[in-house]
Amino acid sequence: MNAIGKLRGALAVIGIIYILIPLIAVIPASFTKASYPSFPPEGFSFQWYTKILERPEFIDAFMNSLQFAVLAALFAVIFGTLGALAIAKYDIPGKSAITSFLTAPLSVPQLVLGIALLIYFTPLMLAGTSIGFLISHIIICIPYVIRLVLTGLSGFDYNLEKAGAILGANPWTVFWKITLPLIRPAIISGGLFAFLTSFDNVTVSLFMISPETRTLPIEIFSTMQDAYNPIVASVSSVVIFISVILIVILEKIHGVGKVFGGGHH
Amino acid sequence: MEAARAQNHQKRVAPEGQPPQQEKRAKKRKPWAPGLLLLTPILLFLFGFFVVPMLYILYLSFISTDSLSGEGASYSLSNYITLFTDSYYLNSLWITVKISLLSSLVALILGYPIALTMAKASAKMRALITLLIASPLLVSIVVRNFGWYLLLLPNGTVNTLLMDLGLISKPMNLLFSEVGVIIGLSNAYLPFMVLAIVTSLYNIDPSLEKASAILGASPLRNFLSITLPLSLPGIVSGCVLVFSLSMSAYVTPALMGGANVPVMPVVVYDQINNLLQWTFGSALSYVLLGTTLLSVFLFTRGFEKSKFKEVFR
Repeated sequence: MNAIGKLRGALAVIGIIYILIPLIAVIPASFTKASYPSFPPEGFSFQWYTKILERPEFIDAFMNSLQFAVLAALFAVIFGTLGALAIAKYDIPGKSAITSFLTAPLSVPQLVLGIALLIYFTPLMLAGTSIGFLISHIIICIPYVIRLVLTGLSGFDYNLEKAGAILGANPWTVFWKITLPLIRPAIISGGLFAFLTSFDNVTVSLFMISPETRTLPIEIFSTMQDAYNPIVASVSSVVIFISVILIVILEKIHGVGKVFGGGHH
Repeated sequence: MEAARAQNHQKRVAPEGQPPQQEKRAKKRKPWAPGLLLLTPILLFLFGFFVVPMLYILYLSFISTDSLSGEGASYSLSNYITLFTDSYYLNSLWITVKISLLSSLVALILGYPIALTMAKASAKMRALITLLIASPLLVSIVVRNFGWYLLLLPNGTVNTLLMDLGLISKPMNLLFSEVGVIIGLSNAYLPFMVLAIVTSLYNIDPSLEKASAILGASPLRNFLSITLPLSLPGIVSGCVLVFSLSMSAYVTPALMGGANVPVMPVVVYDQINNLLQWTFGSALSYVLLGTTLLSVFLFTRGFEKSKFKEVFR
């Protein structure tokens, strides 16, 4: 390796550290003994983890986050898979326009989407309700499911479906026994991705919250705005832990980079 | 006329017995009615909860009202006029554009070497780097912001490091400042920059570099004459992406800048959630949306028209 190669490598390492360092800093900071957040941490203790259990708002928010994320992912997967199947399989006129429409919620800033939904939901009595919250999250999850399932369908061999039909299977059986098993990895990664998108969301959620619909990122956000407290570090570490588990699964099935459009060659 | 033509058509199609041409055509073109049925739920959902709300606030942005109850409402451009004549909002727009430009620049400087290393690395290494840089995108932004909060504290790692290096004599105010917001935003969106650049680097024909090396070009000359110009499309799309995401980011400026850095999203949030100025807030939202789209358009177009035109296909 020549000098330029070494320089390039060193600069790349700096860049990667820059991306990862905020996450790396959070975990040790959660074990601090001090009553204020600091990095490097002072001493070692588990007190900020046991303190989570004394704060019911964090537990409730965590349960809310889980429920909303599961439901949002489920609905986004149902809507998205049906839509992606229709686009991939049938010669619908205006296909590419429909695809861009289905992924359009990605191009509208989440702040603007949140405002639009809040203003629209208020006269409909949906503002601050669980249903309103869920709808807003389904919208932000749909584009990812569409993308992932469409990618999964791109190499799909429709002759298999035809073979099934010729052998006498009805369309329903063909779907359950042939189509679904073949695109299952794409659907699972779409679902996991939708789950994380909903689980992590702050911006849209901020316009949808009410005392009953507070989620974990919202709770972290407001704790950070009021007073910086080491409990944010321990709660954040729990969030990182959950995310890492799902990232490992996603990477195994699909490849995390591909989800964001980074193509392996 | 129309009716006659339709009839004529029917007549031509109608005769039974020998419809081979017609049937062949029908077989070739798959029926798409079932597809439309599958699309109906998602189209209805997005129409009802995405298109209509977006159009509704566009409509509201043209209504001016003095009271919260909406009495004395009338159609006018006054929301937009206030926005573009009041120095507070113009200043906020300027800060937003400035911070977004600087965040794109930081992301480009830090991201390019990563992308270049990925392009030269083995497939295994590429996959590892992709995983390392893309994974943080799946961790909530509040968590990443809290990490920076810890690092940027007056007695935090960054200040300590800068003082140890002798670059500063006393801790800088990195938190609740424009610098803090730029660090937060460039960190959050750097992965997108890398992925955009690396895609264009993968597309460069490796024989070009080999050829120029054989012809005696130095590695630096090689980089400046081949790699850099051919990766420009990736640089442009990466910058446009980071810029537009930064323009509309709310959480990072709110946490890393607070009231000291009143970027547009923070101002809009305040108008809607705290002051309940819905019609004015709607206008602000559309100005934010419009500015983002316009800057993206101008930026892309400016590059397309420049001397690098040949690399855009």
